[in-house]
Amino acid sequence: MTGKEELEPKQNDEEIRIGVYVCHCGLNIAGSVDCEEVSKFASALPHVVLAKDNRYTCSDQGQEIIRKDIKEHKLNRVVVASCSPRLHEPTFRKACEEAGLNKYLFEMANIREQCSWVHLHDRKEATEKAKDIVKMAVAKAALLQPAKEVEAPIIRKALVIGGGVAGIQAALDLADTGYKVYLVEKGPSIGGMMARIDKTFPTMDCSICILAPKMSDVGHHPNIELLTNSEVVEVKGYIGNFHVKVVKKPRYVTRDCTACGECAKVCPIVAPNEFDVGLAIRHAIYTPFAQAVPSTYIMDMNLCLNKDGVVVCDKCMRACERRAIEFEMKTETVELEAGTIIVATGADVFDPSTVPNYGYGKLPNIITSLEFERLINAGGPSGGLLIRPSDVQIPKRVAFIQCVGSRSDRNGRLYCSNVCCMNTIKDSLLIKEHWPETEIYVFYVDIRAYGKGFEDLYKRARKEGVMFIRGLPAEIIEDKKTHNLWIIGENTLQREMYKINVDMAILSIGLEPRKDSEIIQRLLTLSRTQDGFFMEAHPKLRPVDAATGGIFFAGCAEAPKDIKDSVIQASAAAARASILMAKGKVTVEAITPISDVEKCSACGLCTKVCPYNAITLNEELKRIEIIEAACGGCGTCAAECPFGALTQSHFTDEQILAQVDAITEHDAEKKIVAFCCNWCAYAGADFAGVSRMQYPPNVRIIRTMCSGRVAPKFVERAFAKGAAAVLVAGCHLGDCHYINANYQTQKRIERFWKKMEQHRLNKERLQLLWVTAAEGERFASKIREMQAIVEQVTPEEIDSAKKVFEKALGEVSNA
Amino acid sequence: MPERIRHPPLDREKIKQPKAEIHLIKDQCKGCGYCIRYCPMKVLEESQEINAMGVHPPKVVDESKCIICSFCTTVCPDFAIFVVEKPCEKACQA
Repeated sequence: MTGKEELEPKQNDEEIRIGVYVCHCGLNIAGSVDCEEVSKFASALPHVVLAKDNRYTCSDQGQEIIRKDIKEHKLNRVVVASCSPRLHEPTFRKACEEAGLNKYLFEMANIREQCSWVHLHDRKEATEKAKDIVKMAVAKAALLQPAKEVEAPIIRKALVIGGGVAGIQAALDLADTGYKVYLVEKGPSIGGMMARIDKTFPTMDCSICILAPKMSDVGHHPNIELLTNSEVVEVKGYIGNFHVKVVKKPRYVTRDCTACGECAKVCPIVAPNEFDVGLAIRHAIYTPFAQAVPSTYIMDMNLCLNKDGVVVCDKCMRACERRAIEFEMKTETVELEAGTIIVATGADVFDPSTVPNYGYGKLPNIITSLEFERLINAGGPSGGLLIRPSDVQIPKRVAFIQCVGSRSDRNGRLYCSNVCCMNTIKDSLLIKEHWPETEIYVFYVDIRAYGKGFEDLYKRARKEGVMFIRGLPAEIIEDKKTHNLWIIGENTLQREMYKINVDMAILSIGLEPRKDSEIIQRLLTLSRTQDGFFMEAHPKLRPVDAATGGIFFAGCAEAPKDIKDSVIQASAAAARASILMAKGKVTVEAITPISDVEKCSACGLCTKVCPYNAITLNEELKRIEIIEAACGGCGTCAAECPFGALTQSHFTDEQILAQVDAITEHDAEKKIVAFCCNWCAYAGADFAGVSRMQYPPNVRIIRTMCSGRVAPKFVERAFAKGAAAVLVAGCHLGDCHYINANYQTQKRIERFWKKMEQHRLNKERLQLLWVTAAEGERFASKIREMQAIVEQVTPEEIDSAKKVFEKALGEVSNA
Repeated sequence: MPERIRHPPLDREKIKQPKAEIHLIKDQCKGCGYCIRYCPMKVLEESQEINAMGVHPPKVVDESKCIICSFCTTVCPDFAIFVVEKPCEKACQA
């Protein structure tokens, strides 16, 4: 809210006038829900002055109708029954605001993702459920209060995590816009995977030649502070105000280093160079590659003879003219402040030694595509000669094997890694360029040449005589004497077996999520898809935003992609971050708690459960103080308060209890009351809808921001009203979008189970589910599982629960 | 870069590490064992023989492992050990 509309407290005493709009969404809703009937039903609900159904409520005309009705019929609450609030709540809130209605007086009923799409074949039940959902929304709407959003300033600095091409591009774009950027890279140099690749497809540019100038720009840019050999260890705060701790490991070489390399020459310790996938050696003091930024050398303390703190060997120190080596350097912790964060942590490559029939790691002449890149690179260990490891000879017959670790449910990952097809085509052309006589066979499943200029390159490779054979090899057998390889398999186009003798085979390995993505996920409270890559806020319309505000993705961290796509995404992420920082302020959603001084006993329980330390106890005045800007809005404090002194705006006890009452008014003994957190469980239920996963229609979902908002009294009320079962669903432990608020959920539910046991109630009637936004099936199967429980619950059991929790009926009477 | 390394380095033969020649003056040794304890490459160990001082002097286990840091010389209180680099002809033959 921009503050131009005045809040009207008088609305409290005003007659409540609700307008309900039931959307057909074409046939998406109307296909399995009788929208007219739902609208007719809604018009008879208390406080509803008008109810309409229309084809597309989100269209301009649909919104215009709402705006007109607000003015003509003096509506002071609006309910739209359509898709998920995660999709169109902002749209309708804006429409309300334009008509002069405070946006917090709008409520949405999700009858698409959580009704019509999941009950496609049961029109009667789906319509009944839609009615219930609308009834819940109307009940809550009647209790809504206008609210004003607090504005918080945004720190005009950005943090970029990961110094690959995506991180470099994002950092440069932001720095050129004029913002200060911290670029944190785990390794000793920026450059990432692109620095290790020889040529890029489809233009065959030299990879490091186009990357090195950008790397050097990062090194010299006045707005970029580069932190290499560093890792982010702590992120606190929220959109616009992140406080970040970075651990900077020592290089043991100061900036006085001129990268002359005299130290490495005398270093007695040798080890395989990781940059060259171990195909070349490096010393304990080294630079990973010639173009490294920063160009300063680095000491690998795991290898150096002085690792135990005694200077046993000082050869490098003696060789260094500039005296740039310092063994006393210590690990530093750097504290940063940033307004926005770009996650560009990249991807790992698949380890093909786990595929037994290809023999990688056992047979010397089988290499990976990454090893190939280092071999064919003029700056690589073989000086640009493609040699086979067994005898260092140039191979005359080469096989490429595609989809190693991709598109397989047995070995590796289910998804397509996006880059391997074109990479192989490029590699085959590189071989043909250097050694035109080489016979090249490519064994593939499908060739995916989908991008600009890709098909041309594919055609060129075919023209040059590269043989493409459809069908992956079943086995690779080595000739023990010559170390040549027999590639055996079935050509699925010609339906015949092949057995081809080659000198060398190259495995086109796929991309995998980083093994340590979990750390970043926890630090920034992100979600990941089932594949393990980070999940964007919306796959089509917000492809670079994280669900957590102020965080954006670039490059392979989000999904496997080529250099061009990584750069595009990096620039997009930089633009998205710039939008926030240019505005300079962010509005905090008005869902923060309000404390009632009279009821508060200053027990301090809320201060203990607040994940953001946004509540402090003032011992002198015997009351609590809430820092609104620091509050994340989970509402776990309101659930914890034993005196009802804390109220979470927009998710008040009254509102939630009114929803429970609406559900349980009729046929409660057949229904499941579900409390779902906005970020994972509700989104997971939405995902089940988007994927059209069908489940029993007797569940009614109440959305809270966090499962930590679910106070025991809500569950008690549901049972007191005779509900058959209750489900509380939240993010997996450790994945909570409010740091750790869902541990409170667990604690409360476990306590509740104990209580149920004491009263000899079937504790299966209360279920707790941890589910991510990508686990639609997990949600759906839980509902199916609970259906069985509901069917077994006897009327006696319902009655005894009603009696046990009778007191809950007196909790906050809803007028 | 966490890829598993599967192939030995191709240039491992090109790297010429200087070859060491370890000299022990056994009868000067009083058996403190510092050279054995502090050798970063674990080149030395206690021998079975008894020297003029009546103690077990160190013996060389694997001379090729020595990287000529000369820390043994630094820590030896009895000036009983020193290392020199083998001249090239000898080293190349070895």
